[in-house]
Amino acid sequence: MNTTVMDHNMSSERRPGEERKFIGDRGDYFLNRIQGETNGNVSACYQCERCTNACPVSHFMDIKPHQVIRYVQLGWREDLLRSSTIWVCLSCEMCTTYCPNEVRVAEIINHLRNIAAHSSIAPKEKQLAVFHRTFLEVLSKSGRVNEFRLMKAFYSKPHILSEKIKSGNLKEELLLGLALLKKGRLKPFSTRSKLTKDIRKAYIQSRGEIV
Amino acid sequence: MKLSFYPGCSLEGMAADYARSIDAVFKALDIDLVEIDDWSCCGATAAHSLSEAMSVILPARNLSAAEQMGLDIVAPCANCFNRLRFSQQMIQKKVLDIPWPVTGDLKIHDMTRFLAQPAMIKQIKKRVLKPLNGLKLVCYYGCQMVRPPRITGYTDYENPQTLDRIADAVGARVIDWSYKATCCGASIGIGRREIGNSLTKRLLDKARQAGAEAVVVSCPLCQSNLDMIQKDGLEQPVPVFYFTELIRLCFSERRDPKWFKMHFADPVPLLSKINAI
Ligand code: SF4
Ligand code: SF4
Repeated sequence: MNTTVMDHNMSSERRPGEERKFIGDRGDYFLNRIQGETNGNVSACYQCERCTNACPVSHFMDIKPHQVIRYVQLGWREDLLRSSTIWVCLSCEMCTTYCPNEVRVAEIINHLRNIAAHSSIAPKEKQLAVFHRTFLEVLSKSGRVNEFRLMKAFYSKPHILSEKIKSGNLKEELLLGLALLKKGRLKPFSTRSKLTKDIRKAYIQSRGEIV
Repeated sequence: MKLSFYPGCSLEGMAADYARSIDAVFKALDIDLVEIDDWSCCGATAAHSLSEAMSVILPARNLSAAEQMGLDIVAPCANCFNRLRFSQQMIQKKVLDIPWPVTGDLKIHDMTRFLAQPAMIKQIKKRVLKPLNGLKLVCYYGCQMVRPPRITGYTDYENPQTLDRIADAVGARVIDWSYKATCCGASIGIGRREIGNSLTKRLLDKARQAGAEAVVVSCPLCQSNLDMIQKDGLEQPVPVFYFTELIRLCFSERRDPKWFKMHFADPVPLLSKINAI
């Protein structure tokens, strides 16, 4: 039995949605915001759960895809930003594709991930979040992403190594890295894009800085 | 014929063998692939996950460069194709300022659909020296090439056919299965290995159960996920081919086992069994 699944289902801490929450006017506010920013048809959801049934990783999520849509309707913003769901989601687009009401589930989850990345809430799936961030950093340094450099940068991030040790995965990961090197798949040297400073500038601007 | 070519980062690293086979195949087909001048990364999943603006801006830089070359684009990687198309649609909607001059007017082809056009299939069939008779395989498309249909333009996204048609053209026996467009886990394995492995293992099991001896793909990430998990050789190996590797095989007089040296599940025994190498 997968322990992660057990943890999500049986942990003693409060499960999202368990306590009574009053909506007030924030429900509308958050719903309108997400609807406006994603054009996601949020109000059309009738909770048929088809999205969740189509999702290949819903059993690794604490808030299931159909629940995400309901939470957005209710304005339960913090629960969503604190969820594992927004990081575990693979953007595989099964949910959006099979929703009978054209609710853009994947786009909404992705947008929540964007909001979480710019919030003060610590990501529940730290490694997944840090991986994305590292990818963008390597990208903005060299314009292209070389896998060797990416993995080196990822493992140099605080806590990644210790989390791998804690989860007992470190040996497996190292062996995989070695095997990839031996096969010539990881290349320590790589090409760069020439005008990387254009990209760096766009990246800085996209974070709201003036350059 | 001339097209601009957006290789994407993987083709310089993890999928260098894919790049070599594409090169050989397009040379043989007399199609000139011109690499996009100073191309840069499309941002992949990371950009849209953390910064929706960057997921439009990064591909736009490449669209702009291709527009200056005046050549329609072909992309071998499913994720790059998806991100280029997404950016194109957002550029046309004019919702973001792009730092580069770009209109979004070029055609963006995913490589499988380009080569699966009836005229191309004819060209491929014409050049097949020795068909891959007896090779039993399933075609695996993954997510990004086909979904969401409003971006990819696939109408048969539930049961796509481009790889099937190409594999059939080179003489392989294509087996139907239900997992053509089921996610392989993409890069999730790097942070959560057990989630990634559970998805890839299932795909390989289903391929075996369908009676396939090999899988054919077009996406570098799908290839490495399905192939890497076989590194310890604990189960019956299922080689994972790039579709251009198959085309290259049957276009060539002299076939070199070294073409497959980057594979974990070694295709050479299977290919020699059917006298293809
Ligand atoms: S498939 Fe659509 S309508 Fe059904 S629960 Fe999911 S989002 Fe709601
Ligand atoms: S996009 Fe995310 S939520 Fe939707 S089906 Fe895929 S993994 Fe599940």
